[in-house]
Amino acid sequence: MPTPSAETRVPVTILTGFLGAGKTTLLNRILTEQHGKRIAVIENEFGEIGVDQELVINAEEEVFEMNNGCICCTVRGDLIRILSNLMKRRDRFDYILVETTGLADPGPVAQTFFVDDEMQAQVALDGIVTLVDAKHIWEHIDDSQEAKEQVAFADVILLNKTDLVASADLDRLEARLKAMNAAAQIYRTHNARVDLDRVLHLGGFNLDRALSVDPKFLEPEYPFEWSGVYTLAAGDYALELEPGSDPSMDVVLLPLPEASSEALEASKMPTVLLFSEVPQIVHPGETILPAQRLMQLQLDERAMRFLVHLPQAGTYALFTEHKPEEFQARFLHLPSGIMAQPMLQHDYKPDHQHDDQVSSVGINLPGDLDEKRLNAWLRDLLSTKGTDIFRMKGVLSIKGKKHRFVFQGVHMLFDGRPDRPWGKEARHNSLIFIGRHLDRAALTAGFKECLA
Amino acid sequence: MKPLRHFTTLTRLWAASLSDHIIALTWSPDGRYVAAAAIDGPIQVLDGATGTLVAQYAGHRFGTMALAWKADSQLLASGGQDGVIRLWDINTGTVLSTLEAGAMWVEHLAWSPAGDAFPPQQVLASAAGKTLRLWESTGHLLRSYPEHPSTIAAIQWQPHAPYLTSAAYSRVALWDITSDTPQRDFQWKGSILTMSWSPDGRYIAAGEQDATVHFWFAKTGKDLQMWGYPTKVRALSWSADSRWLATGGAAEVTVWDCLKSPAGSKPLQLRAHDQLLSHLAWQHRGPWLASAGDDGRLALWKPARSTKAMAGVRLHAALTKLAWSPDDQCLAIGTALGTVCAVATPP
Repeated sequence: MPTPSAETRVPVTILTGFLGAGKTTLLNRILTEQHGKRIAVIENEFGEIGVDQELVINAEEEVFEMNNGCICCTVRGDLIRILSNLMKRRDRFDYILVETTGLADPGPVAQTFFVDDEMQAQVALDGIVTLVDAKHIWEHIDDSQEAKEQVAFADVILLNKTDLVASADLDRLEARLKAMNAAAQIYRTHNARVDLDRVLHLGGFNLDRALSVDPKFLEPEYPFEWSGVYTLAAGDYALELEPGSDPSMDVVLLPLPEASSEALEASKMPTVLLFSEVPQIVHPGETILPAQRLMQLQLDERAMRFLVHLPQAGTYALFTEHKPEEFQARFLHLPSGIMAQPMLQHDYKPDHQHDDQVSSVGINLPGDLDEKRLNAWLRDLLSTKGTDIFRMKGVLSIKGKKHRFVFQGVHMLFDGRPDRPWGKEARHNSLIFIGRHLDRAALTAGFKECLA
Repeated sequence: MKPLRHFTTLTRLWAASLSDHIIALTWSPDGRYVAAAAIDGPIQVLDGATGTLVAQYAGHRFGTMALAWKADSQLLASGGQDGVIRLWDINTGTVLSTLEAGAMWVEHLAWSPAGDAFPPQQVLASAAGKTLRLWESTGHLLRSYPEHPSTIAAIQWQPHAPYLTSAAYSRVALWDITSDTPQRDFQWKGSILTMSWSPDGRYIAAGEQDATVHFWFAKTGKDLQMWGYPTKVRALSWSADSRWLATGGAAEVTVWDCLKSPAGSKPLQLRAHDQLLSHLAWQHRGPWLASAGDDGRLALWKPARSTKAMAGVRLHAALTKLAWSPDDQCLAIGTALGTVCAVATPP
């Protein structure tokens, strides 16, 4: 079924969040403030809507499995039935709000809008808004799969009940949520009071908006926290470390063409790929040679010394999994014992692996994509990793196409269309994956292979 | 649609107009009336011969969903989003009973047929959400079955046997009117949208959300799956002799020959529509198959003779429902804009 180019479909916003997070308050706020509009509300049976509203339909969250070609997914059968009926009416709705129960996995409700042709032709998922109870979320965020998924699926997160929480705790919470879902807009609210423009009419495809609000969000998290550039004479050196937080540290030492930040930047992505390889184990006293490979320094209780042999003079970059100061690392020339000082150094945003593997991977690459290779890669990726990829969104530059291609997806399902022409804007690709156990290096490498 | 040789363009016998999308359309068993319901609620009873308005009922708050005539043509049952069933006395235009169906959205109603196999007093089956109930025509609740595990997608009385059939996610079940436990069930992990018994009672066919048609052989419980449809299958109709099953799920009508078993066979493909089919209806006894599409086209076929449309007409709005008169002489058509019209069966 062709996707309409001008958006004539009725927008749907999904409201998720644990019981008591403020979903009903927000619903009532929307209905009160948008009273001129025809809004249909599909709520779960426990909801309570205060406004006298004729268009409230109770839905029982009936999730069923559906085989869609080779793809298996779960959808909400009750929603298909209800929306199909609503869309047949002559007096069309301006907007549809779907509230889920607190314990609901947002996957099936979101997938419903991609998997059914009738739904896809008539309604468009505008956004997923997740309400988070800033005080009580800590009770769930570590062990509730649903709470994590509700955060991971969100386009917008309302950090609600902020009046009950100290601002330092809010900062901590916001950082935690951001680590799980870098693409979501996070707003702090009290009584779910928020400018409705921030939760409605987001436009499912509007990645630009996300970029404009938080330009950092596509800055990837790296598997290393530090890099330093040294210009060194040939000879022997020592890397000395004190015991630290980890029993090992991954490092890469490789030659650079010159001591510049451009050269360091250029070596960053190849190094990300090296960090995904199986490391060579290096014990204290053993020798490290500069090479395109990952080494894992084995650290024990005592102070340790690793030998470094440089066969020739030149510029070298050292990438380390942790910040050198965490291990009081010293890089010494032998036998003089003079400390080598980096010409340049860079700290990187750490990987958030502590967070139950729910994370975001952003990729930002200039250039054009080969459509065939892109399709093949996506097909393979979604069929093998689709269950772990909760959401993805992006703007792509396809070779030979004048228009930007914008897309969003939920698990294995995908909805994309041409957007405005590139015009004078530099052609580039921005995409983000949010999910569980995402392999940044593999995703980045795979996507790079699709460049024309 | 290009006029073909031997193609008859049908002319309207009459037309009537309701407020919105026709969601239910049904002839009274005596052929005198056509009852039509608009999705926003109103119900009209029209004269079958002239289309003249005989009665207008307010129907249901939030919308009517289902209509069913009792065999004596004196009583019309309606169900709606308000969760109630109303029994209308066609002679006085009054509501005889208002019955609580047990949940909102009364989507399916079915009177037991008149016949030796069935209760002498006709009973009405209603399905609302997960609740299946049986009623006497007086409005007395006969039975409320245990809640189904999911919303009931279709109900039908089994041909030549006193069992009520219900279809829901992953199960078709047969119910005795005197027992709370299903007499039989047919399982398949799929989301059923519509279900239809072959008139001879040999097969149950189901149209599914995942763009397949499922068959069960009633006797053995063996099943078959037909796939390859472009989209979900909402329309099914059996020919009177139970040989042919016409299915939607595409712009083409797919017709399976079920004389032996459709397994491994290649179906007939009938092409006249350029948008999805909304309804299919074989005549009660005659050879004609009618297809209705979102493109506003009606096409009439004799698939056993030809895969070309032999008659048809195009209306100004998407077609939603079809209903053959009991004598097969006339076909009523409902549209998305609330029009109801009738065409005469070609010779």
